[in-house]
Amino acid sequence: MTDPNLYAALAAASHSAAGYSQKQAVWQSGKLRLYRYQPIARPTSAVPLLIVYALVNRPYMMDLQEDRSLIRGLLAAGLDVYLIDWGYPDGADRFTTLADYIDDFLAGCVEEILRLHGLDALNILGVCQGGVFSLCYSALHPQKVRNLITMVTPVDFHTPADLLSKWVKKIDVAAWVGDGNVSGDALNQLFLSLMPFRLTQQKYMELMRGRADRERIENFMRVEQWIFDSPDQAGAAFLEFVTWFYQENRLVENRLEISGRRVDLKELRQPILNLIGRKDHLVPPAASAVLQRLVGSGDVTTLEFDLGHIGMYISARAQREVPSAIAGWLAVR
Amino acid sequence: MEHDFWRQWQTLAAQWAPAAAPGAARGEAVGFAPWADAAERFTAAARSFVQGTAQGSPPAAAEAVRDFGDFLREQFADAFQLPGGQAFGAARGAPPTFGMDLPALGPTREHLQRGQRAAEAWRRTEDAQRRLQRLWSDALRDAAQGFAARLTPPQPGAVSPEALHALYDQWIDCAEEAYARTAHSDAFCTALADFVNASSQSRRELQSIVEQWAKLLDLPTRSEINTLAQRLRSVEAELRAARSERKPQAAVKASRTRRKPKP
Repeated sequence: MTDPNLYAALAAASHSAAGYSQKQAVWQSGKLRLYRYQPIARPTSAVPLLIVYALVNRPYMMDLQEDRSLIRGLLAAGLDVYLIDWGYPDGADRFTTLADYIDDFLAGCVEEILRLHGLDALNILGVCQGGVFSLCYSALHPQKVRNLITMVTPVDFHTPADLLSKWVKKIDVAAWVGDGNVSGDALNQLFLSLMPFRLTQQKYMELMRGRADRERIENFMRVEQWIFDSPDQAGAAFLEFVTWFYQENRLVENRLEISGRRVDLKELRQPILNLIGRKDHLVPPAASAVLQRLVGSGDVTTLEFDLGHIGMYISARAQREVPSAIAGWLAVR
Repeated sequence: MEHDFWRQWQTLAAQWAPAAAPGAARGEAVGFAPWADAAERFTAAARSFVQGTAQGSPPAAAEAVRDFGDFLREQFADAFQLPGGQAFGAARGAPPTFGMDLPALGPTREHLQRGQRAAEAWRRTEDAQRRLQRLWSDALRDAAQGFAARLTPPQPGAVSPEALHALYDQWIDCAEEAYARTAHSDAFCTALADFVNASSQSRRELQSIVEQWAKLLDLPTRSEINTLAQRLRSVEAELRAARSERKPQAAVKASRTRRKPKP
């Protein structure tokens, strides 16, 4: 039976999913901000970890609340954590390309961190689309990446379970994008349509079934806010990403070029940790697992978790297992 | 049927809400009142299904299952919106013709052709939408059949909220499985691509028409702004290149300066 106070509790819930842990902006370029998190434990490594998040959602999912924060888990393990916030592109960013994101913005963040620490190389944790960017950057600048971690990252975009890839196969993406940006709302509809019954109906029915206690409602609302707080996508970068990766699968076929240079995954010779969600409906496990046989590194660890795409960031199990897996893997490298 | 899926889930949700409970005060129904009628229909359908299957006669049970499946198909027929905002079931009626048959002659031929291209793109959008609607309806039919095949009705005396929840969850599982089969099919992928491609062309033609009007009124157009933005980008790129060329030179100069012995 629905708690009679639920409706009022939902209406009164705050919308404050801006991230939990203390952080400071240390560099910026255009709308991009590079944040450094305040340590909460004794440092265990002199090499900082840069988290590269996707463009399609906001990065605060990595630090949603105190007890659901991958970043907090990494900080508690003594890691020095940086995070890229790409910002919200607007009409002035419509011609921003993947080369801009990878070889300018991401490269700029890496340079800044290396300068601050007086190092030649750092560790990178790439998440989802950010994992793809991290693979590209690391292949183009292998000497600057000491250890590479990819999380729910698609590599082969043509696996049988990849519904998004099937859908966009015959779409004229250039016509879709036009000369503009791609609306975050349209992408939300696209993602919802992958599992419309669960994501637009059952989820809310589950909400109705539970208690109206404030903590539960606030938790729900934070995730809800994150899901629909979707930046528009810079048109040129979106066109390139969908065409080159989803339609043409260039990364796997070794045909991808960024800034006129070939992105050869064989150039990845540093240790690599690949984290996969077995129940991921956005990035099928097979799309990610293929990385191991494409890279030049002899030190590749693949860890699978019995979790979905979002569960990899915020589930209770992820809090217990993912940060410790990352910290433990880094500690011996 | 804008935001129809929202209405649909609230329709179902309302049956658990106090506003939908018999005898609830009207004031408590705030927020849920518009969906109370539909919620009652769902509850009635579920009860009818449970009673029908409990009667023991195979024809009555089969009819109850079929009725419940039909109800769910109807209930969810417009439950989902495409990227771009229209429900699968929204494509109805004849598309606008906009002088489709007129020969494009004389000084207005370019304007007429733009209008005709926009109308043709609109027609193709609606056609693709109708195909998507059929596929959605087929998926719902398959879902209802799968649901009926799996049904284990609760005891009639125990139509509790938990039993209704279980029925609902079972329906969702069947619906997602059926939808996934449809969504992965070539027919769906082609219809979706046709829909997006035709919508894109429709938007492009409309932009072109609007730009024509903007020029007449001497207003800036998106094309002009884009041209300026591209020029600015290339100037910025040249500036960056010049800076990065100067950096190594400056570093060499600094290094030479450092090596110089002090007088």
